[in-house]
Amino acid sequence: MDFDFSSDQAQLRDMVQRRVSKDYGFEHRRSLIKAGGDQGIDPTSSWEALSGLGLLGLAVPAQYDGMDMGPVEAMVVMEELGRGMVAAPYAAASLMGAGLLRDHAPAQAKQAWLPKVAEGSARVLPALQERLARHRLNVVSTTATVAADGAWMVSGQKNLVPVGGDDGVSEAYVVPARVSGAPDDASGIALFLVERQASGVQIKAHPLQDGSRAAEVVFSQSPATLLVPAQGAGFDALEHMVDIGIAALCAEAVGTMDALMALTADYMNTRKQFGVVIASFQALRHRLADMKMQQELARSMSYYATLKLTAPAAERRRAIAQAKVQLGQSMRLVGQQAVQLHGGIGVTDEYAAAHYFKRLTCIELSLGDTLYHMGEVSSRMEDSAGVFA
Amino acid sequence: MDLNFTPEQEAFRQEVRTWVRASLPAEISHKVHHALRLSKADQQGWAKILGAKGWHGYGWPKPFGGPGWDAIERHIFEEECAMAGAPRIVPFGPVMVAPVIMAFGSPEQHERFLPGIMSGDVWWSQGYSEPGSGSDLASVKTRAERQGSKYIVNGQKTWTTLGQHGDWIFCLVRTNTECKPQAGISFLLIDMKSPGVTVRPIITLDGEHEVNEVFFDNVEVPFENLVGQENQGWTYAKYLLAHERTNIADVNRAKRELERLKRIARAEGVYDDLRFRDQIALLEVDVVALEMMVLRVLSAEKGGKSALEVAGLLKIRGSEIQQRYTELMMLAAGPAALPFLHEAMEAGWQGDQYAGGFPGGRVDNAPLASNYFNYRKTSIYGGSNEVQRNIVAQTLLG
Repeated sequence: MDFDFSSDQAQLRDMVQRRVSKDYGFEHRRSLIKAGGDQGIDPTSSWEALSGLGLLGLAVPAQYDGMDMGPVEAMVVMEELGRGMVAAPYAAASLMGAGLLRDHAPAQAKQAWLPKVAEGSARVLPALQERLARHRLNVVSTTATVAADGAWMVSGQKNLVPVGGDDGVSEAYVVPARVSGAPDDASGIALFLVERQASGVQIKAHPLQDGSRAAEVVFSQSPATLLVPAQGAGFDALEHMVDIGIAALCAEAVGTMDALMALTADYMNTRKQFGVVIASFQALRHRLADMKMQQELARSMSYYATLKLTAPAAERRRAIAQAKVQLGQSMRLVGQQAVQLHGGIGVTDEYAAAHYFKRLTCIELSLGDTLYHMGEVSSRMEDSAGVFA
Repeated sequence: MDLNFTPEQEAFRQEVRTWVRASLPAEISHKVHHALRLSKADQQGWAKILGAKGWHGYGWPKPFGGPGWDAIERHIFEEECAMAGAPRIVPFGPVMVAPVIMAFGSPEQHERFLPGIMSGDVWWSQGYSEPGSGSDLASVKTRAERQGSKYIVNGQKTWTTLGQHGDWIFCLVRTNTECKPQAGISFLLIDMKSPGVTVRPIITLDGEHEVNEVFFDNVEVPFENLVGQENQGWTYAKYLLAHERTNIADVNRAKRELERLKRIARAEGVYDDLRFRDQIALLEVDVVALEMMVLRVLSAEKGGKSALEVAGLLKIRGSEIQQRYTELMMLAAGPAALPFLHEAMEAGWQGDQYAGGFPGGRVDNAPLASNYFNYRKTSIYGGSNEVQRNIVAQTLLG
């Protein structure tokens, strides 16, 4: 039972933090939003920086030329990317996509993709969201069929897919597709890999509320590689990949909240009203104390999520759902109250507070929102504390 | 980073668990598991069982006769006691005054007071709060005037928890009025059987006698009962407050009570009502998050680091959670929680004088509303949650 970071982990944090604060200041991020226009922020320059830091292969095993690091290292990196609000599909590609390949794909697919992921010449991104599914992973209407020559073809549409820039890196998608059963039958879901360059793949990028880039991806009889078959395995792997993503989002949110809290405390000690700094008003001080509470509960549950990623599936899922409920509540309170404490400047686009708030809101709504995960906790609740009444 | 306890810690847990379950009388754990009234004999009985094992002063270092456990081991001990349904250790002796006596008392005081605290034979009370002092502890008015080899003490303490059972009381008293409030306070140990000490009950909104007023009318206290230096009491009081930090969140009890809440909700038929069940789910998240926060603080303490800024949050969150589970237990029972029967808090009471037994249905429902009312204290005592927020804000804003 130990919550200390190793010196290697502390060094990793320093390295990422230094680079982000040097190259990814708020004005730089704003200029990226502007330049991105109706496509959202182009993550190319961030991707190159992440590649230069050697982080793209963080979760890739050593035998595939990766750094072979674990969930805690991933958490450290995500906290720092969150602190700087770096808009790049790092968690999606290097943690979720690479993690799925690492833990669930056949050897051939690992050999084909993981070394490229580690060296930065390929990205494997999850394409999960369907229009009618909300947060339910079992609702999949994208279909996969076998052609006459025995090859798989995928057809359907995925939304809100995190994508990279037009940087020459070959991109592929992990696509949950239905091979059998009703639209909500989990056992009929298998996972496929579809390359961006494959025939019948159409991509339309757009910005999200936080400025980052996402895309609608349409597959029309697109050639696909089977990664994980149906009959349970596919869905279990899908849940595992999503849990890795949720833990990463929780860590990112902690970094984002840290930055927003610091910004808010600074502002309260600077801004004067009625002749005194607003940090002197008890009503506002207590508000900040409440935010601090939520921030630390969130940090605690982010650690919990990360450290439970290696637990058996049922235990892992419950812990992840509990963490997302805590993080969701914390992000909403910290985000909303930070804007409130800033007053008018907090609702402008030119100041960072609103950007943090919008990023936190995007995180809350991604990979299952607070109410959804509360339902998960509620339905998975059992006597667990070991009471001997 | 690692969530798991070490094999040594797991073995320690097993040892504690085996001993606690073998040693804790069933009639006492029954009362704890049903939130029924605990008598002095129950509380002191358990204290003496622990004392005979050398565990009543479970936070004590070895040189003073304690087990010398580290922060994690103490947590494991607290958790095993809570899960088994042991009464909370009454903290005033072993957890509060003993560390002050160890740190600042004389060798004679060590010898005189510590054995009785460890054994559970001597019941200590806390004389901090005074009428009108609220969370402003430094406003102490109770006077102690030097007269030859003794102090003459005059004044009043209040909110003295379980003071009706007290043998001794440790008090903050004013020994100097000519300086700023914190600088004129001394830490005095007073025999409650001394002439001039009067204890009067305060009945709280749940109808229970848990707290008291203690009056001092020309009470003679030998000079050798002064701990440390005269006028240095404020330093010792702060030391004491630092010592009672982590367990103030009482997360282990919260875990036990969360399971009790689920049992009550099942029995009352609201566990399958999603509107109610989701409230339990939210509380479960709160409890897990609090536990993680406590473990973070313990881990830091074990490593010799201070996690003060987080520790300050534990009291607020712990008390909010205690209030929430008592609230949800009452709401689970609904109208069945309404009857207010003093005798229904006693173990074994079945309500036979009513045709259908307890008028609230299951007799287990009898304490729920009283517990709810009783627990409103938790956000008020130990420095109100508003004072705690001031402290948290101070660390953030200066």
